[in-house]
Amino acid sequence: MKTLFLGDFGARVAPPILAKVTEKLDTTVLGDLGDTQRLIPALAEAEIVVGHIWRKEFPEAPRLKLLQSTAAGLDLIDVPSLPGGVTICNVTGHEPAIAEYVLMTMLALSHRLLDIVTAFRAGSWAGGGAGGGPVHGELLGKTVGIVGYGGIGREVAKRATAFGCTVIAANRSPIADLGAAAEIYPLGEIDRMLPRCDIVVIAAGLGRETRGLIDANRLALMQPTALLINIGRALIVDEEALYTALRDGRIGGAALDVWWRYPSPAEPNARPSRFAFHELPNVLITPHCSSGTDGARDRRLSVVAGNLDRFVRGEPLTNVVMAT
Amino acid sequence: MKALFLGGVAADTARGIRAELPPALEVEIINDPIGRVRLGEVAPQADILVSNHWRADYPPAAKLRLVQSVATGVELFDLAALPKGCAVCNAFGHETAIAEFVVMAMLALHHRFFQIAGEFRAHGSWASSWVQGGTPHGEVRGTTLGIVGYGRVGREVARRAAPFGCRILAANRSPREAAPEVDRIYPLAELDRMLPECDTVAICTALGPETTGLIDAPRLALMKRGAFLINIARGQVIDEDALYAALRDNTIGGAAIDVWWQYPTHDDPTRRGSRHPFHELPNVIVTPHNSGWTQGMVRRRWDEIADNIHRFCRGDNLANLVATV
Repeated sequence: MKTLFLGDFGARVAPPILAKVTEKLDTTVLGDLGDTQRLIPALAEAEIVVGHIWRKEFPEAPRLKLLQSTAAGLDLIDVPSLPGGVTICNVTGHEPAIAEYVLMTMLALSHRLLDIVTAFRAGSWAGGGAGGGPVHGELLGKTVGIVGYGGIGREVAKRATAFGCTVIAANRSPIADLGAAAEIYPLGEIDRMLPRCDIVVIAAGLGRETRGLIDANRLALMQPTALLINIGRALIVDEEALYTALRDGRIGGAALDVWWRYPSPAEPNARPSRFAFHELPNVLITPHCSSGTDGARDRRLSVVAGNLDRFVRGEPLTNVVMAT
Repeated sequence: MKALFLGGVAADTARGIRAELPPALEVEIINDPIGRVRLGEVAPQADILVSNHWRADYPPAAKLRLVQSVATGVELFDLAALPKGCAVCNAFGHETAIAEFVVMAMLALHHRFFQIAGEFRAHGSWASSWVQGGTPHGEVRGTTLGIVGYGRVGREVARRAAPFGCRILAANRSPREAAPEVDRIYPLAELDRMLPECDTVAICTALGPETTGLIDAPRLALMKRGAFLINIARGQVIDEDALYAALRDNTIGGAAIDVWWQYPTHDDPTRRGSRHPFHELPNVIVTPHNSGWTQGMVRRRWDEIADNIHRFCRGDNLANLVATV
């Protein structure tokens, strides 16, 4: 079976995936998407492509039957330009890791952990309880609002309720099984949910309904002490509106793992936004790594390897998102 | 009936709960050292003392029937200087806040949060990014957490850690019934069998003869090489030199330390918490003994103290009775 691992990331994960695959594959690895000379013949014969990027200008792929993404979101795949009859699968297994990140940052922001550690490293006991220093916050009794109640949202809800939080959520489609959540709003009524939340978690995919969803008006609906955590996609939140809200203290703080700008070979240390989020004291920033745990990586690569084996054997696939 | 609120924390408490106290109760607040000259006239009339201490050189307080500590520890009260029959009660409300700290620290250590967030903030480094093919960090799911001291704090930790999908073990001096989320409770004497199993060890025990120096060099050596140690109990439960050496030499993975072997004093207000530079080690999260120091904890303690004063005034049984002098 002609299998092409495509793109920088696809090339990087090819060896660990192939180590898990048991069926025989005829494998090509092409990291550089701009290498048209190699891309034309590779796509001409590929039956399986493993990668999370598909561009409109890609050459023809007449034999393609399976596009196995290495990501959960398909936002970098231009579906209309795929040939007909292709099954698109994504990967899962990152949910627990991201839920851990969400709880960790919720706790760290509430407890002001970074400030306290930084000051104490420098020698200040000012945050100390013994000396009657200023108190910090906690999670107990807080209301957490999750935007996008999918796999990640459910895992967050399960953990947050153990801390004595009330969990509410907003979701595009109706939810039959509430899981640990107390109440679900239709996404269209998110404006009623936001003012209730001490913490808002963006766990939605990027799509028509979510692009720019959290704009200046919605940020203004949040409590002045509320925290925003984004592990979904940066473009769900208005970049400038969020920066000014945080800078001016109109919301309490944020933890951001997904970004409006990403590094390129020319600019490997590119700042993640045109605004200086990294200079704001009430913001925790990480380089898109909330899902980057050893466990999540192993679970995701196992999904890919399992699907490649199933495809070769003609068995039903898992993680099917759509077919063209 | 008269209540004396003595010291800074007690003064804050008085201001916080005054409206909730019995209307007939007279409230005296002595906060600053200058105010203490009044102690001679107030102490003999007080029925209730709310404070974190009482010293032998204070004026006699013969009428005292209730001493309500504003903290859990009552070691700063000189019980011999209190009148006979006086009840001493303490206050809690910190367990859930400390449990939050323990789980937060466990997550931050496994996720290498300080290194990753610090590098990204300071230098814009994407090296840890999943999309850039960075080295993966750890997660809590599937790991084993060992709780040393399965008391009020330990139970709250277990309850919060369970939904993360970790296996939970505990060690306790006296036999305890395990909650469903705890896999097994070892007698404290069998701690050496628990330690090698753990990816995270959380010290949640009180300081006493059995726990002073409990975590020494041989026990640190029993821990897994990548394991993390979290101490929110008392510094002296752990051997200071041995822990520093283990962290410096990476024979364990890292630590979160909230409680210390030494504290600032009046003469040395910026004294470090240890004679070793733990604060310079990259794999250590250091905090100034404030894991439980949250707004919610203060509110819960105020509520407990107000409730106990009401009980006393009504003649009901007291809550959180530690001793009767």
